[in-house]
Amino acid sequence: MSHALAPPLPTRVRIAVPLIVIGVALLLWEVAVRATRTQGLVPVPSGIAASGLALTTSGVIFEAMAGSLKRVAIGFAIGAGIGIPLGIAVGTLRPLERSLRPVLDSLRSIAPIAWIPMAILWLGVRGNAALFVVSYAATFPFIVSASQAVRIVDARLVDAARALGASRWIVLRAVLMPSTLPMLFTGARIALAFAWGSIIAAELAIGIKIAGQGRNVAGIGQLMVETLYVKRDVDALVFYMLAIGIVSLAIDAGLRRLQQRLLPWDRR
Amino acid sequence: MNPLIELRHLGKTYASARTGEPVEALADIDLSLRRGEFLAIVGPSGCGKSTLLSLVAGFAKPTRGEVLFEGAPVTGPGPERGVMFQDYALFPWRTVHGNVVFGPWARGVAPATRDQRARELIAMVGLTGFEHRYPHELSGGMRQRCALARMLANDPVLWLMDEPLAAVDLQTRIILQEELLRLWGDENPAAQRPTVMFVTHGIDEAVLLADRVLVLGRRPGRVKALVEVPLERPRARLRTSPEFALLVEQVWTLIRDEAAQAIVEEVQ
Repeated sequence: MSHALAPPLPTRVRIAVPLIVIGVALLLWEVAVRATRTQGLVPVPSGIAASGLALTTSGVIFEAMAGSLKRVAIGFAIGAGIGIPLGIAVGTLRPLERSLRPVLDSLRSIAPIAWIPMAILWLGVRGNAALFVVSYAATFPFIVSASQAVRIVDARLVDAARALGASRWIVLRAVLMPSTLPMLFTGARIALAFAWGSIIAAELAIGIKIAGQGRNVAGIGQLMVETLYVKRDVDALVFYMLAIGIVSLAIDAGLRRLQQRLLPWDRR
Repeated sequence: MNPLIELRHLGKTYASARTGEPVEALADIDLSLRRGEFLAIVGPSGCGKSTLLSLVAGFAKPTRGEVLFEGAPVTGPGPERGVMFQDYALFPWRTVHGNVVFGPWARGVAPATRDQRARELIAMVGLTGFEHRYPHELSGGMRQRCALARMLANDPVLWLMDEPLAAVDLQTRIILQEELLRLWGDENPAAQRPTVMFVTHGIDEAVLLADRVLVLGRRPGRVKALVEVPLERPRARLRTSPEFALLVEQVWTLIRDEAAQAIVEEVQ
């Protein structure tokens, strides 16, 4: 282990070396694609940067992103609205659990994306089909986390509250609700990740149907389909992929922050 | 004046969590507590000490017999019977202040009054400066003090304490024992003291604190002996006296054989 004995590198070098490595790699990539005339099929760094600049300055990417995020937000809210009450009911009422669990388990095992054809058939391509798929994807993490959360409530905390003079209502509000929050929050994070994952898939599928029909592009997925079939712009496609990844990371980091902020007592 | 607490032919049988078979935890307990009395409850593990407390607290219903509080049967938990749990059972989402103020808050005491009371109690148990800490940020001894202050906030006439000092180290325990005696009113006339039922597995602790030591026998728990502790109060400095050692020995003799048996049976 000779490097373990070497003196630590100065900060400037430690930052510069990876940057140079990345720079050289990008340069090689660019040269390789141009030299082999695979342009148009394989993206090049300069092209990705150029499309990125064009799409951000024109605002196209933001509009599409806003369209997708809006559906994710609505789908997430619908998922919470259905999933949390259902999960609480399933978690607290034994007979209900026994009759509903097989149904829920089989529904859960159908990937949300598999619903897309039916959703398009029922709801059309104008956006409601995508919303259906997203809501569907978001509902199950809420059901699972809510039913778990109410089941693991510490009975002694309920006893403690009652011995301190708490009514049923106070026990519900001041013990049961807060004790379920950490798990619900974790469920919400999973739901949002599922929703964001399925909106892209749903929009891609719907986009195929409307591509080239001159309709308005509504979300990032539709935009990608249009870019693929109409504009054939491989650099822009890669830029969209990067943007999707960045948004996923930002959403999860934001929720993590929010969780620490709202539930400072929950150390995990 | 009728006794504060009267146990009449009290028995409790519950279904074993593991096998579902009925387990008789307590059989035919007859006991009345004098007002202002400190009763310690000792016995080998599995003698139903905790079950006895939860029946008096009203968390569980007796299978046979009854618990009378101020002459009326206990039907559920109530703020006049304060409970302190072995593993604290503090609300993790509430700060020290939030925990201590819970009882008065739940009972609808005016904000100014309950905050004032909480401040006094927090000072009394030596937690001033830690009001805004969450339970997970406290040491074991501090959590225990917080739990004590929370119980006291309702000014209960009966303190039900289930091995409250079992989870702290020996030095902390000795300090907390002395503090407990002081808060209970070791130095005051008996008429001003609350009544205490204190479950412990520390025989010296029982003798140090109590006016009488209730010795329970192995499953099903029955009254094996009720030992008077005629030591003078205040007690804090009595640990080294010969009378103290003699009483500890006397109680230990009562438990010894069954405690040894309990070690073996626990494995089976």
